[in-house]
Amino acid sequence: MSELAKRSTLMPAAPAAPPSRQADLRELLAFVLAGEAYAFPLYRVREILKPPPITPVPRASRHVLGIVSVRGVITTVVDLRRLMQVEETPPNKSSRILLVDTGGEVLGALVDEVLQVYRLAEDEVELAGVVGGELSDHVLGIGRPRVRTRDGEGVAREAGRDLLILLDPQPLLARIERG
Amino acid sequence: MSELREEFLAEAQEIVEALSRDLLLLDQAHKDGTSTQDLINEVFRGVHTLKGIAGMFGYVRLGEVAHALEDLLDALRLGRREVSIGLLDALFEGVEVFQRLLVESPESPSSEVDLPAFLSRLASSESPGKRDAPDELAAYALDESVLAVLTEYEEHRLRTNVSKGMGLFRLRVRFSLMTIDTQLEDLKTRAKSVAEIITYLPSASGGDGDAIELDVVLASSAPFERLEEILGGDGAVLERVGRRPSRAPELAAPRPAARAQSTEHPAVILPPARPTSAPPAPSPTPRDVPAPRKELTADQLALRSVAHTVRVDIRKLDHLMNVVGELAIVRSAVTRLTEKLRGRPELRQLAIDLHRVNRGFERHLEELQDGILDVRMVPLGQTFDRLARIVRQLAREHDKEVQLVVSGAETEIDKLIVEELSDPLMHLIRNAIDHGIETPKRRELAGKPAMGTLVLNAYQKGNHVVIEIEDDGAGMNPQVIIETAISRGLVSEEAAAELSRDEALQLIFLPGFSTSAQVTDLSGRGVGMDVVKTNIARLGGVIDLHSELATGTKLTITLPVTLAIMSALLVRVGSREYALPITAVQEAIAFEERRVRNVEGREVLTLRGSTLPIARLDHLFRLPPAGAAKRFLVVASVGQKRAGLVVDALEGQQDIVIKPLGKSLSKVRGFAGATDLGDQRVALVLDAPGLLDEILAHERVLGEARR
Repeated sequence: MSELAKRSTLMPAAPAAPPSRQADLRELLAFVLAGEAYAFPLYRVREILKPPPITPVPRASRHVLGIVSVRGVITTVVDLRRLMQVEETPPNKSSRILLVDTGGEVLGALVDEVLQVYRLAEDEVELAGVVGGELSDHVLGIGRPRVRTRDGEGVAREAGRDLLILLDPQPLLARIERG
Repeated sequence: MSELREEFLAEAQEIVEALSRDLLLLDQAHKDGTSTQDLINEVFRGVHTLKGIAGMFGYVRLGEVAHALEDLLDALRLGRREVSIGLLDALFEGVEVFQRLLVESPESPSSEVDLPAFLSRLASSESPGKRDAPDELAAYALDESVLAVLTEYEEHRLRTNVSKGMGLFRLRVRFSLMTIDTQLEDLKTRAKSVAEIITYLPSASGGDGDAIELDVVLASSAPFERLEEILGGDGAVLERVGRRPSRAPELAAPRPAARAQSTEHPAVILPPARPTSAPPAPSPTPRDVPAPRKELTADQLALRSVAHTVRVDIRKLDHLMNVVGELAIVRSAVTRLTEKLRGRPELRQLAIDLHRVNRGFERHLEELQDGILDVRMVPLGQTFDRLARIVRQLAREHDKEVQLVVSGAETEIDKLIVEELSDPLMHLIRNAIDHGIETPKRRELAGKPAMGTLVLNAYQKGNHVVIEIEDDGAGMNPQVIIETAISRGLVSEEAAAELSRDEALQLIFLPGFSTSAQVTDLSGRGVGMDVVKTNIARLGGVIDLHSELATGTKLTITLPVTLAIMSALLVRVGSREYALPITAVQEAIAFEERRVRNVEGREVLTLRGSTLPIARLDHLFRLPPAGAAKRFLVVASVGQKRAGLVVDALEGQQDIVIKPLGKSLSKVRGFAGATDLGDQRVALVLDAPGLLDEILAHERVLGEARR
């Protein structure tokens, strides 16, 4: 985009300031892709939208679903399932678009369902380095939220929701630009 | 803070632009031998103001340069130095330095500007002063007490006028304290055409509580009667300041104190009533008489001229434009609701009323939109002034004689376009002087006048602004261009052989093309014609080239007046809608499959006797074929290029606000942006110049030009 085109948009709000690395992984927004639970750091997520009609963009990367207008700002929507190479099901009532700040651009990410915001204790997060070397660069770690009972005791959650794959949107969405 | 800094930058930029303009005029005046005093003053004021605000905002280096230039200009003003080509060069360089310094941040000065070197050059541009001329002033019957209080500047002006043989006059006027400002201004205005006001001093007889008497010293070549006619009236008394009898050679010494006794001479400037020992400046006037002896400072002048303008960040206008766009969407929503109401007989009246209100809304909205667009418009003159400076500089560096003829500087165009335009234009001008216009010797050998002419012409043509850059230089040789392109591996010999003359010229727009055998300081700055072309295309414009060997080269740039809003034709391909800027649409007709012919694998059809290449948008975009029975052909043209686009339906015309696609889509070709159609619908806007290039690309040759 030329300088000119950039300037003709509304000025984007200041980029979200990353909190400390620890806190970074403690507040999370969880969502579902093909039955698995994933999460983005909460400060990266600007907004959750019900999917408006998406205008496809010919010649764009296959990860790109198209564009939508978010209050006058043209926003690229990507299919997170395609990026994560998981199964794609047609959008339904629970599908949502997360507006994610990737640092350079706010992108829309289509997900199957939005779960909830998690605030995790330090011992509920395993950083990628701990988990093992084979994980991709966009996986920050694994979250294991416990169910909190009244007296503060935590027990493991039901299957399928007991494990959150913590994603870093930056390397993930940077792939779009590379095509 | 950053907002303040932007404010500073905007103001400083304005001052620097004005400086540049005034210096050009000064250069001209110097060449013509006309008076340069006013211009020197103007430049001095500008530099002075710049120094002031640079200090306020911590631009130390900028302030330093301004200070050095101010000293230089002060010397000019006071006649201690004379205007010379070398000195003008130094001043022009100063403007250049200002511009570079404005770009850098004051905290981290870039090393690009070698300030000490510039300052020492400035110091060495000293021309011998013209001091020590015989003091002709002494020959005039001017009172010593007057001479004693003249500022150095006033004295210099007095001397200059006297040495030019101007007559000296004294005008005594009486102004009311209440209105002295306006009356003084009025007097200055009236005097301007016939005389120069050297100074004004409160007279010895003073005035009373409400009024003040001033003695105004004037220099003029006009006869006494004419001056009296213009300046007289209202109790003003004009006298000629006579020459002394030239009997006293000792009076020729510069302002000897001995002259204090000369008050008894008839036509002296102060009345005998005034005691010669009286302190000169403070006069018997009460309170707050604005010290009239001071010149107006630059700040006062500036305040006056900008009183009716505001400076606005263009992003704020963009934002307003966006809001207008949203309002337009609201309006169409209301229109749809009105339609719905109409279907209900019992609500018919309500529907009619709503429709009327909505029409009113629509009209005002249009007005608002036009208003915002109008605010964004600036004359091209600013850009042209900058170019004029470059022409001067380049011509001098290259020992070429170039005369720049500018017309249409008042043509207005969107501020954003103007900003993005200066680089491409600068490059084209460099090329014209570097490669186009020949040296005087060569020109004379070719039977041309030694001075080359560069014409810069702008005019509005419908929704477009056309800028032409034409030189009467050597022109381009298609053969040389072809050889260069082959040697650079941009085109194969076989392909080159098939090129027409015009096509050959187009080769200069290929990346990696540069004809100049030796890379000069001027054109060899890493930017080629391909970049110029790309930048202009990015503005929705096109560049056309016409060149005749030995006669000259003409480049024509066609640009939209604004990018903020445009009229577009909505077309449908399958289920998708695309907007095509109406400026690129020549016509739309029914498409007849049977008229399509195949020429070397490309589809064309004959339209009114000429061949039109066509492209099916569904093929081009790899969309599933819609198979509409009836299709349309939209003839798109940009500059000289023309092609037909096959679409499924025409959905009508609409004003659109074009918005950029995100960075993630920057590599996708064929779209200039997207637009909100309302109703949550978004349509892609086709990039007409890009698509035409793509469609017309000659597989072997111009295919590369696209990238």
